[in-house]
Amino acid sequence: MHLTLFKTILRDQLHRPWLTLLLILSVALGVAVVVAVDLANASATRAFQLSTEVIVGKATHQIVGGANGFDDSVYRNLRLQGFRNAAPIVEGYAGAQELGGQTMRVLGIDLFAEPPFRTYITAGTNVSVDALTAFYTQPGAALISAESAERWGLETGDYLTLQIGTHEKRAQIVGLMRQPNQVSSRVLEGLILTDIASAQELFDLNGKLTRIDLIATDAQANEIAAALPEGLRLVRASEQADTVSQLTAAFQLNLTAFSLLALAVGMFLIYNTVMFSVVQRRRMLGILRCVGVTGREIFLLIMSEAALLGLIGSLIGLGLGILLGRLTVALVTQTINDLYFTLTVSDVNVDALSLLKGLLLGIFSALLAAALPAFEASAVPAATVLQRSDLEDRIRGLLPRLNIIGAVLIFIGAAILIFGQSNVALLFGGIFIALFGLVLYVPVVTIFLMRIATATLGRFGLIARMASRTVTQALSRTSVAIASLMVAVAVVIGVTVMIASFRSTVENWLAQTLNADFYITAPLAGANRVVTMDPALVDKARAVEGVQNIEVLRSVTVRGLETGDLRLNATEGGVAREARIFRGYNGDPSKIYEQLNAGAIAVTEPFANKHRVAEGDTLTLLTDKGAQNFPIVGVYYDYSSDQGSILMALDVYRNFWNDNAISGFSVYVAPNYDVNQVEDAVRVALSGNDVVVQSNRALRDAALVIFDRTFAITQALRVIAVAVAFIGILSALMALQLERTRELGTLRAAGMTLRQLWRLTLLESGLMGAAAGILAIPVGLILAAILIYVINLRSFGWTIFFTSVPEVYAQALFVSIGAALLAAIYPMVRLSRLQVVEALREE
Amino acid sequence: MATPNGKRANSFIRFENITKTFREGDQERVVLQGVNAEIARGEFVAIVGRSGSGKSTLLNLLAGLDTPTRGDIFIGDLNIAKLNDNDRTLFRRKHIGFVFQFFNLIPTLTVRENILMTAELAGWKESDAHAQANRLLDAVGLRERVNVFPDKLSGGEQQRVAIARALCADAELILADEPTGNLDAETGAHILKLLTTLAREKNKTLVMVTHSSEIAEQADRVLRMEDGKLTRPETGGLETGERRLETGD
Repeated sequence: MHLTLFKTILRDQLHRPWLTLLLILSVALGVAVVVAVDLANASATRAFQLSTEVIVGKATHQIVGGANGFDDSVYRNLRLQGFRNAAPIVEGYAGAQELGGQTMRVLGIDLFAEPPFRTYITAGTNVSVDALTAFYTQPGAALISAESAERWGLETGDYLTLQIGTHEKRAQIVGLMRQPNQVSSRVLEGLILTDIASAQELFDLNGKLTRIDLIATDAQANEIAAALPEGLRLVRASEQADTVSQLTAAFQLNLTAFSLLALAVGMFLIYNTVMFSVVQRRRMLGILRCVGVTGREIFLLIMSEAALLGLIGSLIGLGLGILLGRLTVALVTQTINDLYFTLTVSDVNVDALSLLKGLLLGIFSALLAAALPAFEASAVPAATVLQRSDLEDRIRGLLPRLNIIGAVLIFIGAAILIFGQSNVALLFGGIFIALFGLVLYVPVVTIFLMRIATATLGRFGLIARMASRTVTQALSRTSVAIASLMVAVAVVIGVTVMIASFRSTVENWLAQTLNADFYITAPLAGANRVVTMDPALVDKARAVEGVQNIEVLRSVTVRGLETGDLRLNATEGGVAREARIFRGYNGDPSKIYEQLNAGAIAVTEPFANKHRVAEGDTLTLLTDKGAQNFPIVGVYYDYSSDQGSILMALDVYRNFWNDNAISGFSVYVAPNYDVNQVEDAVRVALSGNDVVVQSNRALRDAALVIFDRTFAITQALRVIAVAVAFIGILSALMALQLERTRELGTLRAAGMTLRQLWRLTLLESGLMGAAAGILAIPVGLILAAILIYVINLRSFGWTIFFTSVPEVYAQALFVSIGAALLAAIYPMVRLSRLQVVEALREE
Repeated sequence: MATPNGKRANSFIRFENITKTFREGDQERVVLQGVNAEIARGEFVAIVGRSGSGKSTLLNLLAGLDTPTRGDIFIGDLNIAKLNDNDRTLFRRKHIGFVFQFFNLIPTLTVRENILMTAELAGWKESDAHAQANRLLDAVGLRERVNVFPDKLSGGEQQRVAIARALCADAELILADEPTGNLDAETGAHILKLLTTLAREKNKTLVMVTHSSEIAEQADRVLRMEDGKLTRPETGGLETGERRLETGD
């Protein structure tokens, strides 16, 4: 490329600092959101991998099984048989008051079996010999990381109050672990290390282990597996980790897709600003073409400028993304902890790959968005570069072709959505394609809407007629601004309607399923976490006057032959639910419960979708009495976990598993008794045990708090949408004004007052905003339907019932028109500065 | 002197039956109707006519900025009507210099850079381009203002830069569209003198569109346009042109 040409463009860009800034900002904003989400996802994934690496160590296999651990004789027998590379583990979770109340992973180990497996407690190097002696000999002795101790002001000798199940227990810090490697030390922050005997004591698992780590060859592993007692199994260590990390895959992918949507919306901004700068330079480009610069060279000039500004914007976006990532990681981690598994992410892990991805994505988006305006500038014959009417003619001529392409894209998008199965990335690709197809219809619908506006507003005078006609005549400018605003607002409508529908579905579901008056659980009960309560508490509660019925729940993780680990909820004394919670079932629900008591199971909808099972199928579960077949008699709606779970009668569960513990219970108050009084009486009866008593209302509210927290991140989309709305219209108005300088000068010369010109600008802008708002409603509803019936069903497996939210439509119109009117202010100020004589001289 | 096949000897530019129409909605507007003309190398030809007579369209076709609906335009042996847009542009950057009514300098380039640009586009060596630009800066009297941006120049100065730019790549053909139309009479006369003098000194073919009969009088030959057709050439110019052709000047 010729240096002088590049100088021409670059200096020109520097003469327009606001426009340059706008373009850089558009790229930066989009890149920042993508990078923030990517960093948050990567940090969470990396934190999980690291904790797995640290916890699993060099183990190749693990012996696991039993809902409530298994007998430690299994380990003894293994050693007696001469297999030395084995380490017994008792693992559980505890809330630690002195560590800010956070949930910590407690790992009970046998110090002498450890060395081949894990290296983070090596005497003398990172833990003192005295500390190790106390660790081994003193009951309740614990090691925590030096960083945690420093953060929470703890020292060796201090006590930790641990919340385990319904009990509070104490452990004493006997030493601090120091890790030279900074990454691993982060993992140690979420860990409390104790001797195996102390852990057994803490978790009431005397004589039991939760797993045995092994370093074994495949031949050895096969031999060990063959000799294992019923109910125990040997798994590859990596397999366990993979299963857990897959839990969050759909959640993280959805988040990424939303961030890409933000980038796509940002691309409209880039398009607008590049288009605006092309319009501003139309005359200069015309001169260049006349003196012999080829169309290809003009195209390359604009593209290289976009690449340069895209690069600067991306670099700023990376910085912003890292800052934003620190906020996002907290939201992502919270959701993972709420819905999936316990994870400690103390900091954003700035991954070079995430940054590189963000950088390339930013530059690529800038180039993609700039390509059309660059092409527009280069493809027009040189003699007519200075005449925009030619461009408008060409755009008009292109409309039928654009509509055909739009129809094809919508068709392809719909086909992907229908046949895309559960590949969420592909499904989002389908949404993008279909959305782009819809966008191509904006010009033709705008013409139609403006005709209506001319027919109705035209009665109010010349200015009203002029405004609606300008929008139509400058279609190449106005339709893009309308399209970008429409997409931004449609995304907000789509996401808002989806969330509102989801929320109302969950509310209805909670109302249908939470029938008891209050619920008693252990403090740390949460998704996919097995907690245990003393069964004796049930009898204490049952003895309270006014308690009519109690429904006991045991919630554990068991293994299915084809399905892998799964959540099993076993209930006793179940009160028959309403028939409508069972998918496609209109009969008497008590019939289903009768079959459950006879040994059948019911599965949740996500489970049925994920594992492709239905009523009439059979599920094989690995019980303590070996593999057993359970017929499925119903599929019920459930929104507590996208991994799904199965429902079994407690008696049936206890028949096949050696586990008499319970996880919680719900209480039904007899008629004529005051629920609050009975609840208080039960609290008194259970005093001394650390349990959480939650009323029906409180439990529903808590569930909805988690729900709202999960979707908090989508709020960012609204902010971006409003920014896009504003900037899109602003740049379109500015381009229009620039192109019509002579026309505006003529109007002023002919006697139009400044106030009348302002009114004209406001009307043009308002009409564009209104058109975008009106178009956004159907497109937003289509988007909501896709999110509800395709994305959620395929990626999470649950049915959401569509809820209409009328106020969203009013809001959409309000935001569109409001943003458009606000955007008109600066062009109006510029109008005040219009020099009529100069304007009339404009070519 | 005409050759046996009817073509002028030493003919440099040849319009053959040029027709240009524009579509306006469903209507077709004929702007040029079967124009035939020849221009010799080194000739100064003025194209005159009323507004809308088709003179600017003819100039645009000659510059390769647009293509005729029918007919051929030969510059030397090359029929530029048959070239695609890219090839016409590449031809233009090497062989045609343009002077506009509204100067059309690049606002972000200095005086020197504006002049250099055409030589640079034509692929000149940097040192040659700079030497050529310096010579032209001297010729148009703007040596002192080389680093000034166009918005700091008067109209006359801007047009002088535009003339230097048109000549910098040593194009054989200089096209001028109302080059004095945006200047006062005195400055206009000065600019015209500068342009014609430089063109003659460097033996350039100069084709100028103008409304001014005074300017037309200075041309070797005048082509008059009326309703998209070329009327008979005016005698004075023709004689001068023919005389120059015959003597081989």
